[in-house]
Amino acid sequence: MVKEGNPFYFYTSSNLVELTGERADTLEELLTILKQCSGSAIFYHVFQSFRDRHFAIEKYHSDFAQWISTSLDDEVLAEKLGALDVRDFISIRDMRESMIQVIEHHLQEHPACKERTGKTPFFLSQSISVAMPTQYAVRNLEGFCQVMERVGVFSIHYHLVEARLRLGIHTNDFSYWFRTSLNREGLAKKIEEIDIYLHPLEEIRKLILRKVQEEIRT
Amino acid sequence: MAFVSLTDYEPIVGKQCIEELYLLAEGLKGKRIKMVNSTAVGGGVAEILNRIIPLLNDLGITTLWTVIKGGEDFFEVTKKIHNALHGEGLSFPPRMKEIFLEVSRENLRYIDLEQDVIVIHDPQPIVCIESKDRTHAKWVWRCHIDISNPNEEVWDFLKGYVEHYDVALFSSPRFSKQLSIPQFLFFPSIDPLSDKNRDLEPEFINQVLDRFHIPQDKPIVTQISRFDRLKDPLGVIQAYRLAKRYTDCRLILAGGGASDDPEGELVLDEVRAEAKGDPDIHILSLLPTSSLEINALQRASTLILQKSIREGFGLTVTEALWKKKPTIGSAVGGIPAQIIPNFTGALVHSIEGTAYQIRYLLSNPEIARKLGECGHEYVKEEFLITQALRRYLLLFHVLSHPGERIIFL
Repeated sequence: MVKEGNPFYFYTSSNLVELTGERADTLEELLTILKQCSGSAIFYHVFQSFRDRHFAIEKYHSDFAQWISTSLDDEVLAEKLGALDVRDFISIRDMRESMIQVIEHHLQEHPACKERTGKTPFFLSQSISVAMPTQYAVRNLEGFCQVMERVGVFSIHYHLVEARLRLGIHTNDFSYWFRTSLNREGLAKKIEEIDIYLHPLEEIRKLILRKVQEEIRT
Repeated sequence: MAFVSLTDYEPIVGKQCIEELYLLAEGLKGKRIKMVNSTAVGGGVAEILNRIIPLLNDLGITTLWTVIKGGEDFFEVTKKIHNALHGEGLSFPPRMKEIFLEVSRENLRYIDLEQDVIVIHDPQPIVCIESKDRTHAKWVWRCHIDISNPNEEVWDFLKGYVEHYDVALFSSPRFSKQLSIPQFLFFPSIDPLSDKNRDLEPEFINQVLDRFHIPQDKPIVTQISRFDRLKDPLGVIQAYRLAKRYTDCRLILAGGGASDDPEGELVLDEVRAEAKGDPDIHILSLLPTSSLEINALQRASTLILQKSIREGFGLTVTEALWKKKPTIGSAVGGIPAQIIPNFTGALVHSIEGTAYQIRYLLSNPEIARKLGECGHEYVKEEFLITQALRRYLLLFHVLSHPGERIIFL
């Protein structure tokens, strides 16, 4: 028998990028910005900006690591920042602290890096999201799969990534629904374990579908 | 220009994208928008307004367009202001300010301000904000030009007006300023259905190359730019020569701006002299109406260069990326916003760097192909007219929900 729960309403979202007017030309300036900027700016540069490049995987998902690699040519630090695992943090504040610690530690070891000017500046941004309902609502896993096959990738990004702003850094709307409405803890965990940075969004769609279809079969 | 409907873009950007635009427009139907600029034809701003206003109206958002009027003396002043914002030295005597203010205020008498949103494009009509208290409209200043290194006296004068607007829009993060009002990123855009960017039949491309006597016997490296020293055409020839020592290729330098610009004619002569009769260098002085020819030259190219010394946003880069061409661009103006190094193209800082990237990409066609593919996808996500439309729709929602970071429709 198909297990049904409260409906899951598929939303989609679009972002308008807000420019803060702040920029960093050196690592020291980036560190100052990191200490002072809003949480939503951190969220934007770590989670949101890669949405517009969702069709492929860059070396670093975080804009901070990407800039340190390509503009400052400091691959050691870029790798350290890039290796920070989202799953190790409980909040944006926590993640910010870790990034600051990694950079400060690096500067202690390599003080000459402090004032080296990047080839291009880092511009601090944040974004405003406009979320809207799509025509799709589902009550069970079978219906979920049907919609998942056709919904836009920005809808997937909204429920899988942007949801972290509302629900907490570790989870997402799909897992929340599987857990609280369909009582499927195992499936909820499997979706939370998807590494959002290692796959383009179209591949993430296939991964989610595969995991849900496996759940239906068991 | 034939009327283009939003659904005409569906085969290019996909059904979901068009559906989302309709969803975004749903709650905005009946809103009244006024665009104000200083010219109805010619120039990038008029071109984008000509294309985007019908699309906004197609979505049920009543969008009107007013062009301000002024005499020769007014436009001489605004031209000087424009150049000063690009960093040119300028003394800004009281008489110039008087002309600017008088004509602007005269225009205000004829502009219908009964709108929901008024978008003022560039500095020419900026003084319209003096009427802010006479309306309930939200006021937006859309700055299309690079003001990253402005003449400070002129910028200080304009900033006094800018900060009375509700928001400001800039074409690149590097063009933004520290302001007391919110500012948003509005990338310029290209129209994939225009003659400069639409798909072409291979036969037409071959005809164009035959007409310009360009054999397709070896890789073609191309820079499309007007003949202007800031586009560094001589540097392009030097980079081509350095690269050609290792990898045989042809170079096309094509652009307009020579026939009606004495300095352009001079630069064209310098370029011809530097080419020294090399049969593999093709120098083409094109008419402003040569959109289809430019399209064909870009599509026939193996690599595209934009080795500018200074640049606005650099829409020639956008056009090249859209055509899936591996693109090498200088790290100036809006080019770094488009070329993410080793992902959507190659970013360079010197003639030697340009030469190396030409060699590298001609020798590694698979890497070049991958860059071209990613560049195309990136343009689809960020720099097409449908994205410009999306940003306007988002902006109108944001203006109706001040202070909210997540807006639920």
